[in-house]
Amino acid sequence: MTEETGKTGTADAQAIHQQLEKLLLDWIDISLSETRRKDLVEEVLREHREAISIDLEALTRRIRAEIETEARHREKQLQEEQEKKEEKGETGKEFVRFSLNMRIQHILLLSSCIVLILTGLPIKFHDTAWGVFMFDLMGGIQNSALLHRIGAVGLIAVGLYHALYTVAFAEGRKNFFKLIPGPKDAKDLLQMLKYFVGSTDEKPKFDRFSYVEKFDYWAVYWGIIIMVGSGLFLWFTEMVLRVFPKYVLDIAKEAHSDEALLATLAIIIWHFYNVHFNPHKFPMNKVWLTGKLSEEEMIEEHPLEYEEILREDERQRRESR
Amino acid sequence: MKFARIAFATAAIPIILYSAASAQVSGCDICHAKSDFKRVLKSGRIQSLYVDQAMIDASVHTGKQCIDCHVDIAEIPHTTKPQPVNCGQCHYEGNTVGAPQRNIKQEYDESVHAQALLGGNTEAPTCQECHGSHQILSHEDPASRTAKMNIPRTCGKCHLEVFAQYQTSIHGVVLGKGNEDTPTCADCHSEHGVRSHEDPQSPIYATNVAQTCSHCHAAEGIVGKYGISSGQVDTYDDSFHGVAMRFGMRTVANCASCHGIHDIRADDDPASSVHVDNIPETCGKCHPGANANYAIGKIHIEAQNPDAGIVYFVASFFKWLTISTVCALILHIVLDLSRQIRNRRRDANH
Repeated sequence: MTEETGKTGTADAQAIHQQLEKLLLDWIDISLSETRRKDLVEEVLREHREAISIDLEALTRRIRAEIETEARHREKQLQEEQEKKEEKGETGKEFVRFSLNMRIQHILLLSSCIVLILTGLPIKFHDTAWGVFMFDLMGGIQNSALLHRIGAVGLIAVGLYHALYTVAFAEGRKNFFKLIPGPKDAKDLLQMLKYFVGSTDEKPKFDRFSYVEKFDYWAVYWGIIIMVGSGLFLWFTEMVLRVFPKYVLDIAKEAHSDEALLATLAIIIWHFYNVHFNPHKFPMNKVWLTGKLSEEEMIEEHPLEYEEILREDERQRRESR
Repeated sequence: MKFARIAFATAAIPIILYSAASAQVSGCDICHAKSDFKRVLKSGRIQSLYVDQAMIDASVHTGKQCIDCHVDIAEIPHTTKPQPVNCGQCHYEGNTVGAPQRNIKQEYDESVHAQALLGGNTEAPTCQECHGSHQILSHEDPASRTAKMNIPRTCGKCHLEVFAQYQTSIHGVVLGKGNEDTPTCADCHSEHGVRSHEDPQSPIYATNVAQTCSHCHAAEGIVGKYGISSGQVDTYDDSFHGVAMRFGMRTVANCASCHGIHDIRADDDPASSVHVDNIPETCGKCHPGANANYAIGKIHIEAQNPDAGIVYFVASFFKWLTISTVCALILHIVLDLSRQIRNRRRDANH
């Protein structure tokens, strides 16, 4: 800095030096000695140089001070944020669990199911007060049948799209393979039950999908196949009867009616516990909307996947060096 | 001589009094008790005007005078033909002359028969057409026109085709054997307030048919005696047809759509609309292209009943699958929560 000041001062000083020399030569008695003249010139220059250099130095010092204050302030803020996160247990790093594609599929699935359940269960429970109430609300069976079929088309569309997604998208294929049940899931279930009753204090370590999530996934597969299959039979009665005997339709009706109840109970008891009522998640696990899990959730719920991701990151970092 | 006059006067008093009391009463029988009393109508037909007092004495109106019903006869001989008797002048609720305490005339006035009469149909029946006039007997009397055994014939006087159909139907055949565990016209159509099948208040309006049939066909004490299931109405109510009918669809099948109305026959009768060979045609009335497949499988099916065969198996499978799955899931949740509670207690204690 001082060098710079010196540099700037030198350029100005030189100009001033020249100017002053000219002035002084005009003013100063030429009888003054050469040395005296030089001293005088130097004295004036020094004064001006200091004046110039004092301003620039002061300015530089002031600017430096302000920058340092601001930097310290921001560092303090970041530190406070970090401390807060550490208190909550988040380190801020997030992991993508459900892509936008998957989240949209889920929303279409749940909307179709809600419509189907609300328009379908009153038929099964037509002798109950709430069943009669629902029919009144919908304006009779012809309206409820139409709405039910709209929901059915929605469900069939999501189902077909999901099958396509499983085959055609890389993430679909990857997820599908991770969802296939295996012996580890039976071991995990056993260990979890032991944990629940207190024989062990170690919860099983899950990969991307725990046995709970695998159950939920395949239960939906089972449900959709039965409901759509039997539902189409019931929708296209006359076409079906051209080929199949009547008792096939009777079987379809039982399957459709009973599986509907089973699926509804599984959703409102099991699925809702897992995502809403479980004290760890209450009031709602947001991953179906955000698609992301925090680092802490990853470590707690899917440690094997977490470790694999870290290993993968480490490998990539080493390769990029 | 004086004694004779007094005696005569004394004897005459009750006679005169009696005649005065029944003023304009006596004298009907002067003409109407003669067995050959008749007149010739404009059409050339001879109408007998003989009234057999013995018939009246044997009927429910025994003890009544002619003018109790023929209130418009003022003098003997009467120069005008009496108006048709309005039975409602005694047959109403609250009457003091011993008639049944029922607003029968009012029920009749709401019926299609009364509407037809008002509309100018002179063939439409009034009380007299079904009950008779001078020989009305209680419906509990087997000789009565309104006894259960005789009702089809009484209605059949006008409704000939229906009567013929009914005679050969299962209900008619059973009645013909002297068994009263079977409906006659009045059981389904009601007797006085007969309404059109398009009238929502009619027992035979589309949405009311199942309930009307249920009076016998859901009563174990009635149909059980004959080996007929008393669950037929329930199975219909639970079927798609029954549910759709209940919640707004009028065009869906009810009992009569498949079984017929006046020509109902047992399902093993080849002429029955629900005989296995005739089912495709019966179902085909609404379902185009109905074939033999429609008959392969129980029609009034109750899935929870073992005689539903494979359907019972499927229903049971799902019942047990549902129960065991839901129990297992709830158990998992309960165990999970119990461990979480214990964890919290442990953390709180540290």
